[in-house]
Parts: sequence; structure tokens; C-alpha cells
Amino acid sequence: MDREFAIQVKDVCFTYPDGHEVLKGASCDIRAGEKVALIGPNGAGKSTFMSLLNGVSLATSGEVIISGQEVYEDNLKEIRRKVGIVFQDPDDQLFCPTVFDDVAFGPLNLGLPKGEIEARVTEALDTVGLTGFEERSSFHLSFGERKRLALATVLSYQPDILVFDEPSTNMDPMNRRKLIQWLAKSNKTILLCTHDLDIALDVCDRCLMLSDGKFVADGPASEILYDRCLLEDNHLELPLALMTHELLHEKLSSGQMDAEHKRIIATFLHAHRHSHGPDAHEHVHVHFHPHEHEHMHHHVADDHIHESIKLPLEDDAGHSHNHDHEHSHDHEHGHEHGDSGNKP
Amino acid sequence: MHISDGIVSGPVVTAGFVGAAVLAAATMRNIELEEIPKISVMTAVFFVIDFIHVPFVVSSIHLIMNGLVGIILGKRAFMAIMIGVVLQAFFGFGGVSVIGVNSVMLGGGALLAYGIWQCRHLVSFANRDILFGGLAGALGIFFSGCILALALLSTGEAFLVTAKAVLGYHVILMIIEGAVTAACVSFLLKTSPHLLAGQQPSMTTG
Amino acid sequence: MALDIDRHAHIDSSIQRWDPRFKIVSLLILMFSIALVKSIALVLVGLVGAVILLLLSRIPLVFVYQGMKWIVLFLMPFFVILPLTYPGETEIHVLGLPFAVAGLRLSAMIVIKAVAIVLIAYTIFGSRRFDINMIALQRLKCPTVFVQMILFAYRYIFLFMEEMERMDTAMKARGFVKKADLYTLKLMGNFIATLLIRSFERTERIYKAMLSKGYQGEFHTLVEFKAETRDTVKAVLVLALAIGLFGIDMMAVFPKAELAWF
Repeated sequence: MDREFAIQVKDVCFTYPDGHEVLKGASCDIRAGEKVALIGPNGAGKSTFMSLLNGVSLATSGEVIISGQEVYEDNLKEIRRKVGIVFQDPDDQLFCPTVFDDVAFGPLNLGLPKGEIEARVTEALDTVGLTGFEERSSFHLSFGERKRLALATVLSYQPDILVFDEPSTNMDPMNRRKLIQWLAKSNKTILLCTHDLDIALDVCDRCLMLSDGKFVADGPASEILYDRCLLEDNHLELPLALMTHELLHEKLSSGQMDAEHKRIIATFLHAHRHSHGPDAHEHVHVHFHPHEHEHMHHHVADDHIHESIKLPLEDDAGHSHNHDHEHSHDHEHGHEHGDSGNKP
Repeated sequence: MHISDGIVSGPVVTAGFVGAAVLAAATMRNIELEEIPKISVMTAVFFVIDFIHVPFVVSSIHLIMNGLVGIILGKRAFMAIMIGVVLQAFFGFGGVSVIGVNSVMLGGGALLAYGIWQCRHLVSFANRDILFGGLAGALGIFFSGCILALALLSTGEAFLVTAKAVLGYHVILMIIEGAVTAACVSFLLKTSPHLLAGQQPSMTTG
Repeated sequence: MALDIDRHAHIDSSIQRWDPRFKIVSLLILMFSIALVKSIALVLVGLVGAVILLLLSRIPLVFVYQGMKWIVLFLMPFFVILPLTYPGETEIHVLGLPFAVAGLRLSAMIVIKAVAIVLIAYTIFGSRRFDINMIALQRLKCPTVFVQMILFAYRYIFLFMEEMERMDTAMKARGFVKKADLYTLKLMGNFIATLLIRSFERTERIYKAMLSKGYQGEFHTLVEFKAETRDTVKAVLVLALAIGLFGIDMMAVFPKAELAWF
């Protein structure tokens, strides 16, 4: 697909004045409309990277190009119109006496006329479900409300690119779910910087992994978020959803259950898979720990999903799965269909 | 401590405002955008510190820490304190007519403290910074006491003994504030030395 | 401790409806007038005026009283020291201690003035949202930098009070009790340092967020003030009182009489 690039980062380095080098030649390209997860261990440079995107920090070397415009000291106002960053702590972003003022802050700085500003505020508050809160003090809202308000303050100046720093931290499950739904529906370019790999799994098609100042992985979320070895090498873990899978597979393969229980678990696994929207992934290959000798294949064709589970063979000493295993799309494996040959 | 309305005379009130205006203008030259939030933060910290009290004999003393403001903000400390004084007046704690006097009193002390703090570069010995920090904190508040006493005396003879009492009180304050400031500086030196004025440049971003 | 002086700013009253620019200018002048007057009779008139204004504003008196307590408490020592040390002849004896009557008069005046001025402060800042009053200040030609800093500081104060309470709770949870010793002082120093570090870190982040939304130092607001005749009328009434008090005081009629009576 030949969409324009929303964000292009070419070999950027960033060193703090005290000599601490945080980014050491990071490069990536993000197209308009993509939803990308930015993951990585603490200290990898994710926050610094984000602040380069809207010129709050300027790269020591290398280029940052937003929608075709390179980020310089002189064009920051325009850049900031295009990129909106929603920071982790809402209290860092709410600094006006009323909700209205906080949401109007961005548009006011853009110099828009009064009517337009009011319209945008109403729209932004409506999007986050805070209609009617205009005259309230942002200080007196609950945490969830403040998180949503922080998002509204960025939405109101309508940037094309949205960057989120840990959007789901400290959120209650219901609000988190609402956020996921909103992100999934949005057609803006979205960069989600998060430790919550499950939200990344739910929302993003692509995943960038930043480690020690460089991008060490860049690919479909369906590959990277499933790659246990890659994740663990970088102080991360499989998303909880996938860990649950692993656990259940373990149970299945340990073979101490009767057929009925196995069938129930296999059904659950199938449903669980389905609920995490593998529809976006054309082919998903799940890799487990080398000592486990079981893997699942999904073949998604239009509406239905075939799930096949290979039940354990004899102990195989030499049969190891490593994460360089090639996989191809639309490839059907001829596996036994166990009790799990369910169709939705 | 800061003074309330109705105590000092008209000429003193006027002198206070003139002095405050002069000091404000002098210390705010070439202010940069990034400094504004920093000054405001310091104002807020200065304001809330007023609610911290340490036990003393039968009651307790509220901390002021204007010296510390000087050690952190340098000359911009004056404005930080002046705004703090204004906010106290606007929040209903009194002192509207003496905003000028209070600003000169406390803000002047902060500036003096900064001056003393910077003098540390002239000498070199172990724990130099902590000692100078304590000294700055102590003399900063003592200077404030002197200004207050002066303001009282300029108002009238009636205040002679009161002025002496004020000075005496500030001697006690000096010891307490000096100690707390020293402890604070010590902590900052270990964790975030760049916050102190006249040290290495901080990690600011555009 | 009423930090949110504008808690009752939503109450409708003739003071609340008064254009803040006129309100601030005229009442500030009244405050100064009362502060500088030297006759206790006139000061009492000023106090009555202040009380009337406060009543007109419909701000709950209990609320004002809560805030006032501390100020009066703070002034009590003056009430005692001043008369005790006043260089004067006329004395009365209370509990065996010689109080100069002129000193009592002076301290009474101080207390009344302080109270009157605080009442007026509540009338101004309690009758309208704080930030709106600050915008009014800016429209009155107060430097924008100054107003911006006031507004930022105002916002941070609430955040830091919370932060302080959290830290206080944490310290107490670890068994810390304040005593009159060096150890406590040291801990207070650490406490303040921690507050400072967290506050500065926070300010860097807030500043980044502001920059991200296009902030470049200008002060924007949609608030508009429209003056009406009644705003001017109210201002003129207040100014009349202020000038009246000051003028009569300048004629130095009352103080002589008062001194003679005492």
C-alpha cells in the first residue's frame, strides 16, 4: 500500500547535556493510519524518542520527519499541530482552572476563533465521554476522568498523529476497555508506548521494540508480541493473554486429564484466540519454550478460524523450536485435528 | 514571619511597594520562557512550606525557608517570593496593604541568602556547601527579621520593644531555619545537585 | 484551612455580579484607605463598611470565620506586647500588669484594620473564580508574566499540598513523630528536599505538555468583561467611602479628640 509516511526517523541520536547517551542511531518509518506499539525495557529511551517527535527535544544527530516536514527549531509550532502526545500522568497535563480551559488550551494556542474553539471543546469532551464537565475543576475529577480529560486536551487540537505514553496504567478495567475500543475505531496514526502488551496486542498491527537506544525489532505485532525469546531478552514478557494460552497448553500436553476436560480447555483456547481479534493477522504462528513440543497454527480465512492442536508425541530430545522458524502465509499444515476441531 | 495589615505606617507601606517594584524589575530582566514554570513551582513550594511546623518548647514554629528559595532560584527568588506573598494576601491570610513590605522583607532575605551561597566558591573545604547552605538559610531569615524590625521602628517609637522582640524571635528562627536548610541542601547535593543555583547546568530540554 | 477561597463563587449576589475590574480597583483602594487611617473611629466605620460588603456578597460567614481564626490568633501577641511596652503615661492595670491605654488603643486599631482588610479580601476573591479575578488583573494592565506565574503557582499549590500530605502520611506510617530536636529538623529538611525534587520533575513534565500543545509564552483566554452602569455606580460608592475615610483622617480631627478622651 502506498500511503504517505506520517513519521520518519532516520538514524537519530540523542545525548543529554550531562553526557548520557540515550538514543544511539534509531530509525523507523510509520505510515499514516498505522497503529504501532512501541515497547521496550525501562531506560531504553522510549520517552526521549517520543519527545523528539514533537520537537520538545531536538535530536543531537539524525533526522525526524513528520508528514514530510523535518523537525527544526523554527517550525515547531507547525509540527506540534500535527503530533499530539498524551503523557502518562494526567496531572502533568491538566493545569487550567476548569475542564473547558484545559481542553481549549491547545486550540487557543492555534489562534482559532472563539466559535471554533468552543465547538472543538464540545466535540473532544463528547469523544471521551465527559460532556457537561466544562465548568468543573479538573482537580476534583477522579483519576479515570482525568485520564480521559488529558486525552481530550490533545484531541481538541486535532493532530493527525497521536502518541500515547502508557495510556492504560492505573486505569480500571472498564475504562481501559473503552480506551481500547476508541483506539481500535480511530483512523489516526497511533503510536502506543506501553508496557501493557495486552493493549498492544488488541490495538496495534505493528510493533517496534526499542532497546538500549536502538530499534531491535520492527514487524507485525503478531510476530513480535508472540516471540517469547525476543521479549524476555529485552526484560519483557509475553502478553498475559498469551501466557494464559501457554498455561492451558501446558495443561493439555501434560496429559493428566480425561478427554472431556481436554475438549473444554481446547474450546476455551479457541474462543480466547477468537476474542483477541486474530482477524487482523493473516497467519499467526505461536512459539513456545523450546522444551514444549506443541504449537498451534491458525489459519484465518474470511470469517472462520480453524484451530488445530497437535497433541504431544514421544519425548523428543532433539526437537526444538527456535524463533527463527520460517512461516508463510496461507499455509495449511496437515495436523491431526484433536478434540478441538471446533468452528465458531 | 510576615507582617499583617494595619501595623506599619503609610510611608513604610509606600517604601515597601517602591522597593518591591525596583527589586522585581531588577531581578526579572531577560526572563526566559522556561523559567516561568520553575519560578511558579518554587512559589508554590514556598507557600506550602508555610504549613509545615516544627515543635518548639510549648508550641510550634512555622517554617519560612526564604533562604532556600534564594539558594535554588538565584535572583529570580525575589519574584517567586513576591508572588507567594501576593497569593497569601489573595487567599485571605491578610497583608494586602503590606505586600510590598513583606516582599522586600522575605524576598530581600532570599537574595541575600543567594549571595552568601554563591560565596562558597571563594573557599574550599569538606562539607563546604552544606555549611554555606545553612548559613544562607540562617542569615536569609535573620535579614528578614531586621527589615521587619526596621519597618516597625520607622513607624513609631511605640514599637521599640516589639522590634526588639521580633529580632529576638528571629534569632531563634535563624537556628531552626539554618539547620533545616542545611539538611535540605545536603539531601539535594546527594540526589539532584543541578537544582541548586550556581552548580552544573541542568538537563533542560527545548 | 481554606485554600480555595473561591469555593462559594457561584453564589449569586450584587457583589458577585460586579465586574471584577471595577471591584478589584475600588476595593483595593478601600483596603489601603483603611490600612492607613489613624483614627479608631474611622477604622470602625471602615470595618462596618467591610462587614456590609461581605454580607452583600452572601459568602457564608462560617467560611470566612474559619479563615479568619488564624489571623486573629496570630495578632494576639501584638495585643499583649504592644500595650505592655508602649512608652506612655496613662496606665491601667490588668492582672497587676501595667497596660498603656494608648497602647491598647493602637493594638485594637491594628486588629480591627487587619480584620476589615481580610473581610474585603474575601469579598473580592471569594465572590468570583480565582482565575477570572486574575484575568481581570491582567486587563487592568498588570504584567502578563506576573499573572501567568500567579495562575501556575495557584494550580501547583493544590497539587503540592496533596503531595505533602501523602509524604506526611508515609512518614507517620513509619513511626515518625515530630519533636523539638535536631533529628526532626534534619527530617524536615529531607522532607522539603523531596518535595522540591518531585515538584521540579513535575514542572519539567508539565512544561513539556504545554509545549506539546503549542504554548509559546502568550496568555490566551476567551473571557470577556462587559462593564455596565451599575458596576461604575458600585465602584463610585466604595470609592466615596474610601476617600471619605482618608480625607477625614487627613484633617486629623478624630485622633486628637480620641487622645483627649483617653
